[in-house]
Amino acid sequence: MPLGRAPAQPLVIAITAPGRPATARSVARVTACALWGLETALVTVEVDVANGLPALVVVGLPDAAVQEARERVRAAIRNSGFEFPLRRVTVNLAPAERRKEGTGFELAIALGILRASGQLHVDVTALCLGELALDGALRPVRGTMPRVRHAARRGVPAALVADANAGEAAACGVESFGFASLREVVDHLEGRVRVAPTPVPPKAAAPAYPVDLAHIAGQETPKRALEIAAAGGHNILLVGPPGTGKTMLARALESILPPLDDAEALAASAVHSVAGLTDPRHPVLTARPFRAPHHTASHLSLVGGGSPPRPGEVSLAHCGALFLDEVAEFSRSVLDTLREPLEEHAITISRAGGAATYPARFVLVAAMNPCPCGFWGDAERDCACLPEQIERYRGKLSGPLLDRIDLRVHVPRVPFERLRDDGRERSADVRDRVLAARERMRVRLAATGRRVNADLTVSEVKRFCSVNSETEALLAEAVGARRLSARGYHRVLRVARTAADLAGSDGVRNEDVALALLLRSDP
Amino acid sequence: MIGIGPADPRYPPRLLDLRCPPDPLWIDGDPVVLATRAVSLVGTRRMTPYGARVGRELAAACADAGVMVVSGLAQGVDSAAHQGALEGRGTTVAVLGAGIASYLQDTRGRRRRLAHAIRASGALVSEFPPESPPQKWTFAQRDSTIAALGELTVVVEAPVGSGALITAEEARRLGRPVYAVPGPIGVAASAGANALIASGKAKALTGVEMLLGVLELQAARRAQDDPDDEARVLDVLAASPLDPDALARRLGLGTTAVAAIVARLMIRGRIASTGDGRLARR
Repeated sequence: MPLGRAPAQPLVIAITAPGRPATARSVARVTACALWGLETALVTVEVDVANGLPALVVVGLPDAAVQEARERVRAAIRNSGFEFPLRRVTVNLAPAERRKEGTGFELAIALGILRASGQLHVDVTALCLGELALDGALRPVRGTMPRVRHAARRGVPAALVADANAGEAAACGVESFGFASLREVVDHLEGRVRVAPTPVPPKAAAPAYPVDLAHIAGQETPKRALEIAAAGGHNILLVGPPGTGKTMLARALESILPPLDDAEALAASAVHSVAGLTDPRHPVLTARPFRAPHHTASHLSLVGGGSPPRPGEVSLAHCGALFLDEVAEFSRSVLDTLREPLEEHAITISRAGGAATYPARFVLVAAMNPCPCGFWGDAERDCACLPEQIERYRGKLSGPLLDRIDLRVHVPRVPFERLRDDGRERSADVRDRVLAARERMRVRLAATGRRVNADLTVSEVKRFCSVNSETEALLAEAVGARRLSARGYHRVLRVARTAADLAGSDGVRNEDVALALLLRSDP
Repeated sequence: MIGIGPADPRYPPRLLDLRCPPDPLWIDGDPVVLATRAVSLVGTRRMTPYGARVGRELAAACADAGVMVVSGLAQGVDSAAHQGALEGRGTTVAVLGAGIASYLQDTRGRRRRLAHAIRASGALVSEFPPESPPQKWTFAQRDSTIAALGELTVVVEAPVGSGALITAEEARRLGRPVYAVPGPIGVAASAGANALIASGKAKALTGVEMLLGVLELQAARRAQDDPDDEARVLDVLAASPLDPDALARRLGLGTTAVAAIVARLMIRGRIASTGDGRLARR
């Protein structure tokens, strides 16, 4: 086009001539959804096609990925057999004051342009999510589940997404349509080729757990502690020489945790969706997550972060368990970042562009050797560590972190002749007790908003964990002689409350307190 | 801090038995305590939980009976002995293998706090100038000084080649009684101490009562009478720390019953968790 020779004459006419047809200036609106962490907001993608120098401008605080969408959208529209309007195209992402991230807006922008330029003849009322390829193919995006759920709550009736995301969208309670390309979307909207709504995906079969408590010989006290951890949501530390089954015990925890309820399943699945870990066939989790990051993990991978922020292992373990094997080998600064999620049950990642909050309510299972070589106090092996090495090694778990660990148990070497013991309890039986205990907690704590005993505040401990005067006197003596800190005292009572719940007792009995003292973490 | 020579009236009289007494002896603390009755308690850095307990118990008993505890403020048994003496509200003296100022400057953490506590209750002592750094040979030399400062020497846990054996040898040369705490056969940390007993260079120390008997003292604190079940738990835990399962098996009791006994003993401070979930006598 001889642009250089005839500078912008049509433009002048467009602005000055009031007689141009109104259709050329119509604004199209398509609904999309923005995501910050797990926080969501509906975004109206407004597209205006006006006369002017051919250009595609995106406004409304787009980030770099959204800016790049311009090139993909332009190519996708052309390669899908449509015209890209050779006029000035303005895309506004409203509300304009918050930064928009990621590639999920591309389908909405493309449909808006087609609508505004008169190539799509119907309005789009559904939520549109998807990334476009240059050839017009539709690609899946992260975080489909929380975005569609948000739209569903706001009354958006349907969602148009990529095939791979259709299952998760359907699980959110809207009519969900999956497509392979932009062309298919347009054909569907105009009624030429109707696509059937994606059915709600079937729930995955009840999960098979790799380790059952019945596989583990001996270890009565550690098993008892695991049961208490599962029932009361208490964090637990397993200490023992190498090869005594710490990892197996930790793995067995998943098999005794209560099943996910619907709200928990959606919450945990949403985090997996944001991380892009959703299984398209079974988008809603049925098993509690069990995350076991390696001890070389950086704090970014553990608590999340990056730009744009991504959820870390603590959030992927939401509603499940986080297992830190060889916890003393983790770098200290990484371990210290666990304090916030352990305290707040959520993690906030602040960046210049805004803060993202991810949920992180998990049971922490940590395992470590008693000393660097692993044989401290072992009757059969000589330990090669100096006392101050051992102190440093154990010091890796700083006080504030240790404060959040209610149970600390020794996992001893099981003598060979006991490895073949019979009559071991199966996980299913233990899980029944855990479920019953959780039910007692639910009834008791209904008014407080807490779910498990581990979350009880100090005043709630006073209310729900009263003990008889003899035990009270015993504990008072321990606190008086500084053998038990005030914090340790409350921790003992919380664990004792769970032990009583497991035994089906309304009151906290002496033996529950005794057991809690046996399993408590601070000396 | 003062440095005093053998001619000084405050110079610890027992050190004069050495072939060449340290001149000067640097003292940070009260020089008077160095002339009181004293026992030297030494052992390996790589102690086991057994060594930790016995070291503390012996030191605490001495402290209770008014006898000063001399040791070397190394990691392991030495620290346990100082700690035990302080817990028994007694006096204790640390003989350092480096200059006193140099030691206080270089040491961090628990032993630094321990050093300050020892200075407050007794004294830090060194035969090396305050600023001189530790060398390999300085430790061997101070081991001899430890032997000379005590009326008798107790080796708590020592592997073959331990510096504690130098102290035992020096004590023998000075004609002071030497005792060694026997340990299990096959445990490296006790091999040197057992060898001392086997060769007749040391007598086997059978307990706190024997030590006090040798010192011709009465136990200041009478052994507490424990109810039967508690006594049995304490008995079983005397050999080594155990996890609750093993304890229950040894006693032939259920976990619940054991938990109740253990809770009472823990609250009374008779036993404690070893930091890895096992239970040990204190």
